[in-house]
Amino acid sequence: MLRIDGVSHAYGDVISLRDVELTLEPGEILCLLGPSGCGKTTLLRIVAGLETEFEGSVSFNGGNLRGIPAHRRGFGFMFQDFALFPHMSVAENVAYGLRRRGYSRRECRERAAALLDQVGLAGQDDRDVAALSGGQKQRVALARSLGPHPRLLMLDEPLGSIDAQLRDQLALDLRQIIKREGLSAIYVTHDHREAYAVSDRIAVMNIGSVQQHAKPRELYHSPRNSFVARFLGLRNIFPISEDSPFMRFAAYRKAQNQGFSAALVHPTGIFLEREPPSGAERFAATLSAVVFRGDSCDVRAALPGGTPLYFAAPELEAKPGEAIELFITREAIKLLRD
Amino acid sequence: MRRYLPPGEYLLYTLPLVFLGLFYIYPLLSIFDISLRPAGLLDLSAFLRLIESDYYLGTLLFTIYQAALSTAFTLLLALPLAYVFARYRFRGKSILLSLASLPFVLPTVVVALAFAALLGSKGLLNDLLRTLFTLEYSPLQLERTLTIIIIVHVFYNLAIALRIITGYWASIGFETEEAARCLGAGALAIWRDIRLPLIRPALLSAGALVFIFCFTSFGVVLILGGIRFATLEVQIYYQAVSIFNLSLAAALSLVQILSMLAMMVVYTQKQKKLHLTMASSRALARPVRSAREVLVVLSCIALIALLLFTPLLALVFRSLFAAGRFDASAYAELLVKTRASLLFVAPIESVANSLRYAILATAGALTLGLITAFMVQRPGRLAKLADPLFMLPLATSAVTLGFGFIVALDEPPLNLRSSWLIIPISHTLVALPFVIRSILPSLRAIPPSLREAAAVLGANPPQRLLTIDLPLVGRGIVVGATFAFTVSMGEFGASLFVAQRESVTMPVAIYRLFGDPGLVSYRQALALSVILMLVCTIGFLLIERLRVAGVGEF
Repeated sequence: MLRIDGVSHAYGDVISLRDVELTLEPGEILCLLGPSGCGKTTLLRIVAGLETEFEGSVSFNGGNLRGIPAHRRGFGFMFQDFALFPHMSVAENVAYGLRRRGYSRRECRERAAALLDQVGLAGQDDRDVAALSGGQKQRVALARSLGPHPRLLMLDEPLGSIDAQLRDQLALDLRQIIKREGLSAIYVTHDHREAYAVSDRIAVMNIGSVQQHAKPRELYHSPRNSFVARFLGLRNIFPISEDSPFMRFAAYRKAQNQGFSAALVHPTGIFLEREPPSGAERFAATLSAVVFRGDSCDVRAALPGGTPLYFAAPELEAKPGEAIELFITREAIKLLRD
Repeated sequence: MRRYLPPGEYLLYTLPLVFLGLFYIYPLLSIFDISLRPAGLLDLSAFLRLIESDYYLGTLLFTIYQAALSTAFTLLLALPLAYVFARYRFRGKSILLSLASLPFVLPTVVVALAFAALLGSKGLLNDLLRTLFTLEYSPLQLERTLTIIIIVHVFYNLAIALRIITGYWASIGFETEEAARCLGAGALAIWRDIRLPLIRPALLSAGALVFIFCFTSFGVVLILGGIRFATLEVQIYYQAVSIFNLSLAAALSLVQILSMLAMMVVYTQKQKKLHLTMASSRALARPVRSAREVLVVLSCIALIALLLFTPLLALVFRSLFAAGRFDASAYAELLVKTRASLLFVAPIESVANSLRYAILATAGALTLGLITAFMVQRPGRLAKLADPLFMLPLATSAVTLGFGFIVALDEPPLNLRSSWLIIPISHTLVALPFVIRSILPSLRAIPPSLREAAAVLGANPPQRLLTIDLPLVGRGIVVGATFAFTVSMGEFGASLFVAQRESVTMPVAIYRLFGDPGLVSYRQALALSVILMLVCTIGFLLIERLRVAGVGEF
């Protein structure tokens, strides 16, 4: 439905997007995930028509969007700081896009009320937007961008200014509302947990290009390169070397010839149990640190030679400094490109 | 924490208060006295004449009308320019914005002559049009019209409006208008629904300030308009000096003072609102990219350059070229005393006078300003009262001040009417608010912990003042001194009242020479104006280089 084809963009001499290729299917939520400055917001603004100087093409339902101004695209955009109109009431904000599309005053009022009801702000129509809390502002902004039935919804760090505690719940709410409206959406964030919760597919971006484009589970279990793995919070990444303890794995031994430069030992494949999963290799190690997290523990252990491994484990009896045994499954070894 | 002051400090603080009392409040009270009790008894006949006469009502209405018109045109021009300045980032933007403030320090006589040199019937533009179309007559007849008055008012106030609106716009950002675009708003809808409502506070604040400036405009109207376009200010001058109807002039002054007071109250409220809403500064100006944007930015730059610099260049050109040839003899003629001239001395003497008065006024304003700044900055009731009190001269028109001086200080105990001292004193009064406003921000920015650290290290109060406070406000002091010097050099309204034959200042000399019929006088006026313009421009460049954030904002 949406096709981003060879899009490049630069701010002066600084290249912000480099030959980006992406597609979006109807009803799908695509997440652009990456650190600040990776170009994700710029890409979003190009799709919205807010940024007009770029190379490549963006087409929607087969029609090239170049030259169509933002206000004629019929897309919705939710801004990072919400960009609510401070001189209008909550309902006036929500109704603004409807007014611009020529709905009558009565229709606007009714649809605004319905939308506010849907985002959990029923009866708040006449409030001053300045008096709202961060979470309420976020919901008004969502209602406003949903108002005119956008053909495509774009969200730029919509939870960026929301407390971390509320974020998980709101991310889920956002996904449910977008799905209920049957919308296609592009969602920009730098938080991988938020991306997992909201999206159907994730495109991880770094310095202007897409590093990997995959479903959340696939992304987490098989990151393509060191950047993606690190950005997802995976830490057991080691350069390929002949004297590595992981030479015991067949896949690892073949890595260099196949052009891989590093290996990830996925934490989900590291176990401390006495009954190891079949096919797991046993390693002697020293327990370095245990951080209690409530439902589990974050563990750091050192293999002989000092290689540190991070993983999660249920409650354990050993104390830091003690010798332990751990098991690594064959599937835990993931080979990474540059 | 309560601080007790040593008696010496109190004594010092009385100095500026006594000065203000003697040379500001006493003259104003004298005006009240003359207007309400011309012969020692309550007599409202002067006011009755004001009210009954269509002529004076017309003066008031015209004052409002020209100020409103000037404000409207200024805002109309400033609005799109401010949008471009706030929205886009381009090389030279900050220099252009700060250069655009040059008129702020240019004396009204200089500007009036500059516009006459450009647009007058013998001005450059008419010369050009005559040559181009081989005409016998001057096609542009702008002298003594409302049009030229308004053009000059726009010239004077554009930068002020531009600064206020640009700053506000940059602080509220452009996300909301992008949001509106995504919701389907076209260019027209964005101006109507988003931009105008959002920058309303800045528009009102800038509008109020520009209106006040135009309402009290004196030199421009006097020189370019003449008595046919008399505003309240010009009428006061005319009544007091030409007809010597002091009670009527005093009554008009009272009207002026009261209107100013009302407008200042409105402006202060608008401005407070403005600062309340100016919260975030997340907006990022965008670089200029598309060809259309380049064109828009370039035309804005061209427009500002055209409005601001062509008159000044025309002035310089006219003073250096005569009959199409380079001829700097006008500058040599400054040494010549013309017999028929209304100026009874050689013009060069006004330069010496102005320099002398400016140095004295700078010293006076700096001394009093420093004391006042320290007084205002410390906690307590005195400070709260003193701050607005010392800003009052800024809100009083120069003509009212000058008029107050001649009616109050012309008899014992204080007879300064025939002394030249009255000029530097009046300049000190006018410059004082500028000095205080230049020093206060840097003084307030000194964290108290610095003084405390010095105290713990063994510095007594005078030592702390000398080693901590004064060095840290050094820049502010230089800026304040420069302000005082430039303001004194260019002061026209008050000087016109109090300057005598021998004590004539440069702006007054320019005005008299310009009014003279002879060609020599005209060329002398041009040469004097160029010199004064250069002095003020140098002062301006110094101020712009040294100012720290918040300095010189009113």
